[in-house]
Amino acid sequence: MGGFDPQTFPGIPALGLSREYQETAARLLELSKQFQQRYAEFAQQNAAIMQDAFQVMKKRLDAAPPAPSSPTELYDAWIDCAEGTYAQAAHSERFARLLAELCNISSAFKVERGKLTEQIARHLDLPSRAEVDTLHHQVRALKLAMRAAAPRAAKAAALHATASRPAAPRPAASRPPSARAKSSKPPPKPRKRGKK
Amino acid sequence: MNTANDPFAEMLQSAAAMQESGRAVLRTMMGLGDVEVGTSEKRCVYSEDKICLYRYTALARSANFKPVLICYAMVNRPYLLDLQPDRSFIRELLLAGLDVYLLDWGYPDGADRFLGLDVYVDGYLRRCVEFVLNEHAIDSLTLLGVCQGGTLSLCYAALEHRQIAQLITMVTPVDFKTPENLLSKWAQHIDVGLLTQSGNVSGDFLNLIYLSLMPFRLTQQKYVNLLQLQGDRVQLENFMRMEKWIFDSPDQPATAFREFIQWFFQENRLIRDELTLAGRPVRLENLTAPVLNIFASKDHLVPPSASIPLGARIGSKDYQSLEVDAGHIGLYVGGKTRKSVPAAVVAWLQSRR
Repeated sequence: MGGFDPQTFPGIPALGLSREYQETAARLLELSKQFQQRYAEFAQQNAAIMQDAFQVMKKRLDAAPPAPSSPTELYDAWIDCAEGTYAQAAHSERFARLLAELCNISSAFKVERGKLTEQIARHLDLPSRAEVDTLHHQVRALKLAMRAAAPRAAKAAALHATASRPAAPRPAASRPPSARAKSSKPPPKPRKRGKK
Repeated sequence: MNTANDPFAEMLQSAAAMQESGRAVLRTMMGLGDVEVGTSEKRCVYSEDKICLYRYTALARSANFKPVLICYAMVNRPYLLDLQPDRSFIRELLLAGLDVYLLDWGYPDGADRFLGLDVYVDGYLRRCVEFVLNEHAIDSLTLLGVCQGGTLSLCYAALEHRQIAQLITMVTPVDFKTPENLLSKWAQHIDVGLLTQSGNVSGDFLNLIYLSLMPFRLTQQKYVNLLQLQGDRVQLENFMRMEKWIFDSPDQPATAFREFIQWFFQENRLIRDELTLAGRPVRLENLTAPVLNIFASKDHLVPPSASIPLGARIGSKDYQSLEVDAGHIGLYVGGKTRKSVPAAVVAWLQSRR
């Protein structure tokens, strides 16, 4: 009797009460499988780069006697060969695509894992990512509203301060009415503009 | 042992000497303790959320330049510019009598995941610029952008050109799609929307990518080369400071990171005049202030070809570029460049007073 084959699991349609969880779990399994495949390709590619680097090193040693006289020289020569060969491969479209696929699969895995964690958090009445995100948005909106309102609040406060200040007794004829009207405005902020 | 004319014996002797060096290095490293970084005196003069605007304490009589605001990259910590007293770009500026401010983006966390580039450029950077302008009661300042911070500075300077008296960009990518740009080639097929869907992008992930650009040198050779230091304490401390800086990488706020990769690396919007920030078009031709563009000839992160096109795109008639024989990091801490680069910056500012 054959045992459970995890490779076939993602193909089974999700059914019943736990179908949502089954789907997430199936997707996680599928992504793990994809990652393993791509990673194997990536490792194969790296092995090919190393093989090429060894060939370059061999050519270099054969072509340019005398051979390195110290382990340091030999090692540095190897690093030059390896880095040069790697750089050639790393600039290729194939390398970039493979690296991106690994990254994208890994990102998709994290997203699915997040969904599962979210579900578990809700069941345990723990703060979930979605809940925290909502709070962040609300705090941000509040901050923006406060920043937008700040100049108006400052203006109102200045007006209030001026209005509540007792008027200084002065002779009625000493200033023209227009000047008296001006004095009810908040005092201008002194600010010198110019080079330091 | 007489090893003359016996290459194998010479190799063995050399290997034995390396083993002894390794022991000396380990002995010294075990006694090093924590290394100090960012040693120049500074105080936080403005802060908001995770960001902090620092003002450095003067080290010389003021040379009466406009204050310099340094906008560093978000992907690394800014203390690279002030790593230690004898390797400090900032200290050199201070010694020349400049008034130096530094915008530190801090360590973003989950609370910052929805902040877009407009918040960073039109929000945080704007308020830091305005703080400095108000503090000195001036209309414009010198903005100095480093790497990604240079790109953000370019955006700001294009939006608010009247506030920028001079702009200095250092190892700043402008054209993100040149053939030498390996980072860009790798970024093209990344689904960055999916990458950032589950939150901020970890600093460890970015470090993994950086190390992958030159894996043999960055993960092997540089450690093997430690053996050559023969347990020299000062050199090992220098090495450890740099090692600390390299791996002290903040997580990247998801939305801003997504926008940066998509808009700059994948769509190359800045140089194509297609970038919009905070609802306003960012046009390099609006940048009319004098510009000094410094790039490094051996830069494996921002190749010169990514920085050079700036001159042809801006509206400024006063543009100067400076190619330095160094790498992306060596520009600030290298043997010769750590003095010559700040000196060049000061001389350039001096001639534009």
